[in-house]
Amino acid sequence: MKSTDDRNAQFEAECRTAGLTLGARDAELLYAMWLEWLPERERLRTAAPAPEDEPWR
Amino acid sequence: MAMNVADLDLRGVSDGIARGEFSSVEATEAYLGRIAQHDHVLRSYITVTADLALAQAKDADAEIARSRRRGPLHGVPIALKDLIAVAGVKMTGGSRVLADHVPTRDAFVTRRLKEAGAVLLGKLAMHEFAFGRPVIAGAFPTGRNPWDVQRSPAGSSSGSAVAAAAGLCAGALGSDTGGSIRGPASMTALVGHKPTYGLVSRSGVLPLSWSLDHVGPMTRGVWDSAVLLQAIAGADPDDTSTRGATTQNYVEHLDDGARGLRLGLLKRYYVDFPGLNDEVRAAAFTAFDVLRKEGATITDVDAPSLDLAMPAWAPIMSEAYEYHAETLRATPEKFGEGLRTRVYFTALFTAQDVQRAQRLRARIGREVDSLLSEVDALIFPGQAMPAMRFEDFPTTGFAPASIRYTAPWNLLGLPAVVVPSGFTRDGLPVSIQIVGRRFDDATVLRIARAYERVTDWHRRRPDPTRWRV
Repeated sequence: MKSTDDRNAQFEAECRTAGLTLGARDAELLYAMWLEWLPERERLRTAAPAPEDEPWR
Repeated sequence: MAMNVADLDLRGVSDGIARGEFSSVEATEAYLGRIAQHDHVLRSYITVTADLALAQAKDADAEIARSRRRGPLHGVPIALKDLIAVAGVKMTGGSRVLADHVPTRDAFVTRRLKEAGAVLLGKLAMHEFAFGRPVIAGAFPTGRNPWDVQRSPAGSSSGSAVAAAAGLCAGALGSDTGGSIRGPASMTALVGHKPTYGLVSRSGVLPLSWSLDHVGPMTRGVWDSAVLLQAIAGADPDDTSTRGATTQNYVEHLDDGARGLRLGLLKRYYVDFPGLNDEVRAAAFTAFDVLRKEGATITDVDAPSLDLAMPAWAPIMSEAYEYHAETLRATPEKFGEGLRTRVYFTALFTAQDVQRAQRLRARIGREVDSLLSEVDALIFPGQAMPAMRFEDFPTTGFAPASIRYTAPWNLLGLPAVVVPSGFTRDGLPVSIQIVGRRFDDATVLRIARAYERVTDWHRRRPDPTRWRV
């Protein structure tokens, strides 16, 4: 499990990568939403698509 | 007029005009009077187009008097979510960003409704750009639930739900990207129909997420929704997603009943979900028993990959970031805090996340299509819980317990309708949902009608004496 500091650093890095420049309030709200959704995102990233899982097949 | 137009459903208004019991002008004046009387509390309208409505109603009455009734919508007063363009009428999207925006062209659906002779009462409140949070103050309040004005009608088609449920129009159009028609309809005892993706044009409609956006009816009755869908469905050269639109007669077989239909209950994913409210669950089981008594067979079915629907839906919502990014960078202060947070959130998904989501979307679609080759439709509770108090809405997030019941069907583009199925002990509406095969919207409406015609939930009306804050 990651520490809060690690999570903060990860969040800030992802915001930078996305090109987001946020005020303090927006950053606080976005962090809360991002943190809440992490388990769902983890499920997305660990779901193994099958070869036939193509959008237009 | 002996009867109160505001208590009628759209069919009642249509029949009343057709039989000469009241004129379109009288019906229009009745709605405008009710809006003037109650909308300072309910806040369902952003713009009331009284002059336009009365002119259209007068024209309708004149045409009908010459025995030229165009059809069931002729002279019927309706209203549109404020992201559907009407030429010459302000369209704000519920946002300060577009506070003074006046489109010069009608949306496709607006044109179709005008051709059908409908009367436009105005433009309806909504969550900011169909993605913001419910608000009760500020320039664009999102509306109060007429069943309990301390509660939200949910969103984002909040004003459409409030106006239709409170009798401030005979029916409304909303839009649905993750549940924005079906959620508010469930919270206000309405029928809410998200049509098949590609059946109803989105041209002239502000986008939220173009591969998930749907435009559809919100009404007191199933017939009402069928008639509105009939008017707005069909191919539009300005929206390529409608190239393959296959329309049906949505009214002809509405009363064929449920006998012989095979329904699949998505029990594991929806009924066994721990976040499902007990009263909603109990009402849904009672409703499914009604459908059994009406001759449908119901079997438990499952699509295991539905567990991946919410993880797949959210990255695809990054289409909203693509749409808003430049304006957000230039004038972030013009957006509400809730909208900003949600749009920024979708920017944090990577390219791989989005492509993974598209692949999972394909997998879920295959599994569900396979189920729908064995049953005629899928059924489950319409929402996880009844209407929430404004103060209970979380500051951030997507309210995942609720959108679980709706967003997967945006992902797959299948027709989905909610129909009122009871009330909680606190008097709050609950619903069931029916999902069908692609472009078989007629069957989901027929099943909804089979339930509706032997129950009376849709006949209940909220009490205007309680519309005080």
